[in-house]
Amino acid sequence: MKKRMMRIAALAMAATMTISLAACGDKADDTSSSGNETKTEAESGAEDADKEAANDGASDDGASDDDKVITYWNIGTEGADKEALEYAVTEFNKNTESGYTVENVPTQNDKYKEKLVIAMSSGECPDMYTSWSGGPMNEYIDSGYAQPLDDLYEEFGLKDQYMEAALAQATYNDKLYAVPTYNVSLAGIFYNKEMFEKFNLEVPTTVSELEAVCDALKAEGITPFALANAPKWTGSMYFQCLATRKGGLEPFQKAVAGDGTFEDECFQYAGEKIQEWVEKGYFPEGVNSLSEDDGQAKQLMYQETAGMLLCGSWYTGTFSSDSPEFYEKIGWFSFPKVDDSDADASIQNGTIGDQFVSFNCTGDKLHAAFECATYYTSDGAKQLMVDVGKIPPTKDAGDLITDGVTKQILDAATNASAVQLWYDQYLPPAVAQVHLDTCQEMFGLTMKPDEAGKKFEEAMEEYLAGK
Amino acid sequence: MKKGEVSLAKKRQKDTNRVAAIFLAPVVICLIVYIFYPIIETFRVSMLNWNGISTDPKFIGLDNWVKLLQDGKFWTAFLNNIKVMILSILIQIPLGLAMATFVEFAGKKATIFKILWFIPMLMSSVAIGFLFTYALATNGGIISSISQLLGGGNIDLLGNPKTALYTVIGVVAWQFTPFYMVYCVAGYTNVSEEVYEASVIDGANKRQYFWHIALPLLKPTIKSAAILSMVGSLKYFDLVYVMTGGGPGDATELMATYMYKLSFAQFNMGYGSAVAGGMFILISLISLLTMKVLNGKKEDY
Repeated sequence: MKKRMMRIAALAMAATMTISLAACGDKADDTSSSGNETKTEAESGAEDADKEAANDGASDDGASDDDKVITYWNIGTEGADKEALEYAVTEFNKNTESGYTVENVPTQNDKYKEKLVIAMSSGECPDMYTSWSGGPMNEYIDSGYAQPLDDLYEEFGLKDQYMEAALAQATYNDKLYAVPTYNVSLAGIFYNKEMFEKFNLEVPTTVSELEAVCDALKAEGITPFALANAPKWTGSMYFQCLATRKGGLEPFQKAVAGDGTFEDECFQYAGEKIQEWVEKGYFPEGVNSLSEDDGQAKQLMYQETAGMLLCGSWYTGTFSSDSPEFYEKIGWFSFPKVDDSDADASIQNGTIGDQFVSFNCTGDKLHAAFECATYYTSDGAKQLMVDVGKIPPTKDAGDLITDGVTKQILDAATNASAVQLWYDQYLPPAVAQVHLDTCQEMFGLTMKPDEAGKKFEEAMEEYLAGK
Repeated sequence: MKKGEVSLAKKRQKDTNRVAAIFLAPVVICLIVYIFYPIIETFRVSMLNWNGISTDPKFIGLDNWVKLLQDGKFWTAFLNNIKVMILSILIQIPLGLAMATFVEFAGKKATIFKILWFIPMLMSSVAIGFLFTYALATNGGIISSISQLLGGGNIDLLGNPKTALYTVIGVVAWQFTPFYMVYCVAGYTNVSEEVYEASVIDGANKRQYFWHIALPLLKPTIKSAAILSMVGSLKYFDLVYVMTGGGPGDATELMATYMYKLSFAQFNMGYGSAVAGGMFILISLISLLTMKVLNGKKEDY
């Protein structure tokens, strides 16, 4: 009898647990529907949730506004990002006569994108928020979470201050929807100058020269490229640089518009080169499992077991803050041209502005929020950005910069005939995911370039068909 | 008199009902708000073409579901889930049972093992994920370092699509085996002392006691452990998300990571919800079937 009771108890327990586990499963599932997000949301930003709700309500009708607090979400949680992004908020709160105050709510980079989507889906979008522009920003705009800013740009005379390319990346459907903030970041190759000297290597100007450098390094037992491709966007930069140097910008732009195709020769070339380089051992072993966030690529540079690193130029700040002595050894060059291609080699890949502020409020509040963003172009802000190793996306940035490598990057940016935003940011998010996945598989040699191109193209066509 | 009795009984019944309603209300409300409503909402959202943030989702009926049935990636993820499920049950429960048996038979002397073995269970999945990402890194990770000491090359378990999933399953087993150990230890305490004594008097040795007496008596415990492990593996998310993010390619993509990416990274909340709904249906079906099979045979001791 006792055993029977125990059995029944055990079964009952199993049943309840299954149900409750299934329920947990649902809760996890349900982060995808609306209901529960408010909870996750509330956990992460409990203190401002109420305020946002109030703000949001107010911003919907725009006019009546008892709450004079502007909520500003960004990614400045630490280091240089924090200093630069926070600067405008502190200055605005000190100097403004608008009667508004801005509340700064920073969230860590990777969590940030998700937090923002969750907030928007539950109708609690902050009044000001930063994004990387491109595909996701367009989604925010299409969903009504950003305001056109052309008039305000005029009023504050901001248009003349920014680089053309910066404004281009803040534009959607011919209207300005965002204010660039704190950095110019281009894809380029950092190299160890000492190592190059030691082995008598010259800075390459063509891909075949680059390959000769790689072979020479390889012969000395050094990994040519430090790359950590677990997050996928790091490897995507190689693909993007190779494709751009082979075919210029036209094939990409045509493919995105649906007039061309991602099976184009230049994407084929990029994929083939990547696989050729993987086979030749130009990348570290296990490249697809190395984590960029944990600094596994830069460690290879610091250990001097790798000679070069292709990444965004925010790495100047990373190198110089990790180790000023190591930074002395670092040189930079723009991705070399493809030997037999006549594509414009001045074209750069990257972001001019890095973080772009968009606004989800109207009337006086929008005016005040925009005023806050204008502090990013104040002399103090620009000086601060330069001091922490960033390049302000303004026309006069060159007057402030003294560091050699940074100056080189700025020159590349100003001399560029065009700057293409990162593929993974520029493409519609669903297509970007396919690109990242297939690109990683090419690095893993588990997918051929033609197959990857086909999948890439299919995803793009599906997106365009659904539009 | 008779009339009064009836009404008294009725009154008592009424009171009982009222009290029951009051006591049950919080549970019912919680269930509705946090479980039933979200489930229904998931199915509703799955019929929308919605990026998750706009205010004007389009109703598209069952299009997302049709797409789901034809979506190779979802079924790859489902297969991966099934692999995780089968291997989790096959690894974690026997291992947990073995550990529990050791602890049980060794008595007080083995308390230290009980504590040591339980430690992985106390760590958060995210911490474990990071820990093993470092341990398995080709760039100075412990596995590769050992292999190099022994004269081999780097071992890239997580970056190789052929081994990534099994590596993750191994780490999941590392994390959850202690749970099943404790579960089985609890099962052992329910096997009464008299049964053990009786078997010893009858001349059974430890091996015979385990195979012929303890194991059959632990069956219900093992069954419920299997169900727990099964449901847990089918909805697994955190460790995989931290360690591989579903990569390389889609080698370690699970239904939950796929759903998450669709909903939050790709702005496709409608289809993401369809995946969530599909997951819900599949998990429920598999759980119900398994429970039915496991509980089909009624035996008593």
